[in-house]
Amino acid sequence: MFDLIEKYWNAEWEPAMVFELFNQGLTLGVGFTAILAALGVVACSSPIYSALYLIGHMVCLALLFLLYNAEFIAAVQVVVYAGAVMILFLFIIALLGAKKEDLKLTDITFEKFLAGSFVGTLFCELLMTLAVGETRPPKGEITQEVLQQVGSAKAIGLTLFSKHLIPFELASALLLVATVGIICLAKFQIPKIRRRSE
Amino acid sequence: MFDWLDPYWFLIIGSVKAVIIAVAVMSAVPALVWLERRLLGRFQVRLGPNRVGPLGLGQLIADSIKLLFKESIVQSSADKFLFHLAPAIVVFTSIVTFSVIPFGTSYELGGETVGLWGANTNIGLLLFLAMSSMGIYGIVMAGFSSNNKYSLMGGLRSSAQMISYELTLGLAALAVVIMTGSLNLAEIVNQQGNIAGWNIWYQPLTFLLFFVAGIAETNRAPFDLPEAEQELVAGFFTEYSGMKFSMFFMGEYINMITMSALVTVLFLGGWHAPVDFLDVPIIWFVGKVFFLLCVFIWIRATFPRIRYDRLMAFGWKFLLPLSLGNMLIYGTLKALSII
Repeated sequence: MFDLIEKYWNAEWEPAMVFELFNQGLTLGVGFTAILAALGVVACSSPIYSALYLIGHMVCLALLFLLYNAEFIAAVQVVVYAGAVMILFLFIIALLGAKKEDLKLTDITFEKFLAGSFVGTLFCELLMTLAVGETRPPKGEITQEVLQQVGSAKAIGLTLFSKHLIPFELASALLLVATVGIICLAKFQIPKIRRRSE
Repeated sequence: MFDWLDPYWFLIIGSVKAVIIAVAVMSAVPALVWLERRLLGRFQVRLGPNRVGPLGLGQLIADSIKLLFKESIVQSSADKFLFHLAPAIVVFTSIVTFSVIPFGTSYELGGETVGLWGANTNIGLLLFLAMSSMGIYGIVMAGFSSNNKYSLMGGLRSSAQMISYELTLGLAALAVVIMTGSLNLAEIVNQQGNIAGWNIWYQPLTFLLFFVAGIAETNRAPFDLPEAEQELVAGFFTEYSGMKFSMFFMGEYINMITMSALVTVLFLGGWHAPVDFLDVPIIWFVGKVFFLLCVFIWIRATFPRIRYDRLMAFGWKFLLPLSLGNMLIYGTLKALSII
């Protein structure tokens, strides 16, 4: 990131840079919004606002995917996470009646300290990626040209159903088992065991 | 002088197109309200609005001005922020949803190719589903933030309904995608061509499923459970008044236009004329959408509202298995390379 700033600092000014800077600024803005929304999820005292912040965070992630030309993943992110999963969260919160909770951020317990240090370590590791610099074009057999030709949905489908077929099928079996399990849990009641003494 | 702009023309053209589409769609809403009131009047053997201006056309201006200048009431127990945010989300998502609809071929304009669509992405159909599922949040928020039992029930009902019927909608659209092999809406239209190639002849059941799910998705009668007057006053927008109230209306009508446009694109050959020599840009697309809008209104005038548990049973136990089976059949046909 710093070399990026340096690059724009030293570059000769030309009008086309407006667009380039706009693009970079947009990415940066969306990224910061995502972080702020994530903080809001943790720091908010009312559960409904927490859920809404989480939705905002997911939408920001989808926007980031979109900015990096991964349209398919962006759409899936919105459809599955922001659209389907979070609406169930909101449902349950709205049905149970959301009460504001007393959050005391100031008094630090041992658990909070542990969680904080863990997140802090992760964040420091994340900061190290700043040294990598500008986003690089994708490597491997799916190049930018291939992506332009087939569209990212097709590209993902091709890799999923050829290279990663077994993990994909295993995941689908897992989902099937989970679905059957949910129906069993919701539908059937386990009959009581009859005892002789009764 | 403007050479440096060359690689960025698409951004400028895109912004202009975005403004034009948004304005056009929003200004179509009052006209649609007028059309609905006139048609409903005729369906019910009465005249409908006919006093203000010729054919009652002044009514739409009068209504818009009235709604704009009405007092906006926010009750003190409401969650203010969400209360104001909800109608904005509904209108925003419905306009963004329309952006993926192609309504004409691309033209050369000063060396640049300009397509008559907001965004011709490779994931057009998925983007439509994603944005329409985001629109539910506006309704849930409206129901929740009003702090009113009727609103909450209306909001929950409507989101449950939209989630249930979105599955059928997506699966029906998937059958079309399986046949054409593309998520790109412009390409789906281009593959259909004139009347012999329209998808409705190849997939009549899919068309029916998509249309029924589309009516439920837009919360139109006979599936207008969220605003069932005799049970819920007005559903999720009970507490709204003035312009915010009309923004929910706007969202509903724009969704109606988008759904009609999508049915046109997927099944009725988009902007193509029935026969090749009649091809005029845009006119045919608008005509088909207009026809489908009239069908929407016709259905509203014909069918009574169905009961809520019946609605859910119909969606989950009848439409969903049917659309799954439908998709399976077309998948098999595609695998055997018959279609």
